[in-house]
Amino acid sequence: MNFVWQGIQDAWQLLVDGDPYLMNLLEVTLKVCIVSTLTAAVIGLPIGLLLGLARFRGRGLALTVANAGLGLPPVIVGVMLFVVALPQGPLGELHLVFTLKGVYVAQTILALPVIVALTAAAVRDISEGLISQARAYGARRHRIALLALREARVGVIAALIAAVGAGLSEVGAVAIIGGNLPFATQTLASAALEEVNAGRYSWAIAIGILLLGLILLISAVLTVLQYAGARNRVPRHA
Amino acid sequence: MTEPVATLAGVSIKRGRRTVVHDLDLDLRAGEVVALLGPNGAGKSTILEAVGGIIEPSAGTVTRHGRVATVLQSPGLASRSVRANVDLAQSWWGVPRGERRARTDAALAQLGAEHLARRQAAALSGGERRRVHLARGLAVRPDLLLLDEPFAGLDPETHAALVQDTSTALRDAARAVLVVLHQRADAWALADRVLVLLDGRILADGAPDDLLREPPSAEVARFLGYDGELVEPDGTRVLTRAAWVHLDEAGDLEATVTRELRMEDGVRVDLATARGTLRTFHRGTRIGTGDRVRVRLEHAVRFPSD
Repeated sequence: MNFVWQGIQDAWQLLVDGDPYLMNLLEVTLKVCIVSTLTAAVIGLPIGLLLGLARFRGRGLALTVANAGLGLPPVIVGVMLFVVALPQGPLGELHLVFTLKGVYVAQTILALPVIVALTAAAVRDISEGLISQARAYGARRHRIALLALREARVGVIAALIAAVGAGLSEVGAVAIIGGNLPFATQTLASAALEEVNAGRYSWAIAIGILLLGLILLISAVLTVLQYAGARNRVPRHA
Repeated sequence: MTEPVATLAGVSIKRGRRTVVHDLDLDLRAGEVVALLGPNGAGKSTILEAVGGIIEPSAGTVTRHGRVATVLQSPGLASRSVRANVDLAQSWWGVPRGERRARTDAALAQLGAEHLARRQAAALSGGERRRVHLARGLAVRPDLLLLDEPFAGLDPETHAALVQDTSTALRDAARAVLVVLHQRADAWALADRVLVLLDGRILADGAPDDLLREPPSAEVARFLGYDGELVEPDGTRVLTRAAWVHLDEAGDLEATVTRELRMEDGVRVDLATARGTLRTFHRGTRIGTGDRVRVRLEHAVRFPSD
């Protein structure tokens, strides 16, 4: 077990020294996480709201597809995207293969069903009476959407946390479409895999610590947002 | 007489293939509180939805002169304070921000709920939620306010208190109110005019006391609580209510007690006469099944045989 302890000590030193490789991994990972989660949120929240609030033919099928997307294998997404993004493929002109842009796209595809399915589920839990009443008072669509997002805040932010978690820890699709290129498309999670394969455990542990710390930090911020205002829900008697 | 705020002309409404409202004509005028009474499934809420524009009639026209607010049966409140909930309804309605505070305060005060203003919706009791729900409807100040069973699901004390407060709050010369009620007694506390809806048709339309004393048909009378029915030799039906049936030694009817049910404030007594059955409430001397009594009818209505 000595190598584990040695690994932790080395990792700490790498972190304290601000090793350029480690810092680049951190930068790439944050970029991928932020861009893919925000893009998935911009696309997925309206779709989740629509599936949660609207009544239309095919809604059940759409919900089933969204829920099935939660189990989407990242490796399959990576392979499919890689194939269509090859120069001779339909998305060849977008130059996604072995680029950070390709990693953003892959991670967005993986985060999207998480946000859609969990947002729809959270919104469906809102009191039907409240939404109907808002409509009866003539609330416009954007106001109903804002009301639903606010009422379903806990569930919606849980969806974002899940998407962030997937974005930070995903390896398969990132490695396939991005090529796992150091100082280019390599993220903390894909780098950790490479370091373990190469037997550089102190690096793997350092990367692991950084990745866990990042997940904890982002989750803490989102959890604070998630329950902001919960204090106000405790009965106060005027 | 003022111009109608809403007019329904020849309105029929289908749910699936079934017609649930038939050929309805109705005017609703400012200053008027109209109660729509009927048994479950009669089509009351369907009419409310048509007046409010939530559904379209399958035939006929609904004309509105002014804005209509519908207070739905379920008091869905947002996870915010009471004040924020009433403000929110006004924002949906389009009330300018600067006017909302005063309107909220006024509406809550009208319903005796001003002390709830800072409470969170999640901390309210069922009766308090209903008050806030109604306050939202008052605060938006519509030309026509539609209320769908505003007292549903309340315990008797809370129900009575809310009916009393609402009866005052609904009075406004500038506003028409159509309220769907499940309990008949509420209509007499709230309404200037009562509509009786049976099987999708308005079978009675009039002032509450007039309807109660002179219902237009035996069917309406029975719905309004005429639970005593005698048949005269020529087939004429004589209908009366328990409140108008008195055990009186000087009465001209002879009856036998067939059943008595002890209640909080007396005994409900079922009577059999040679011409039919009656029911009354009795608070005096103790009586039992099989007793022979004499009965006086204070008021009854007569209808030709069916």
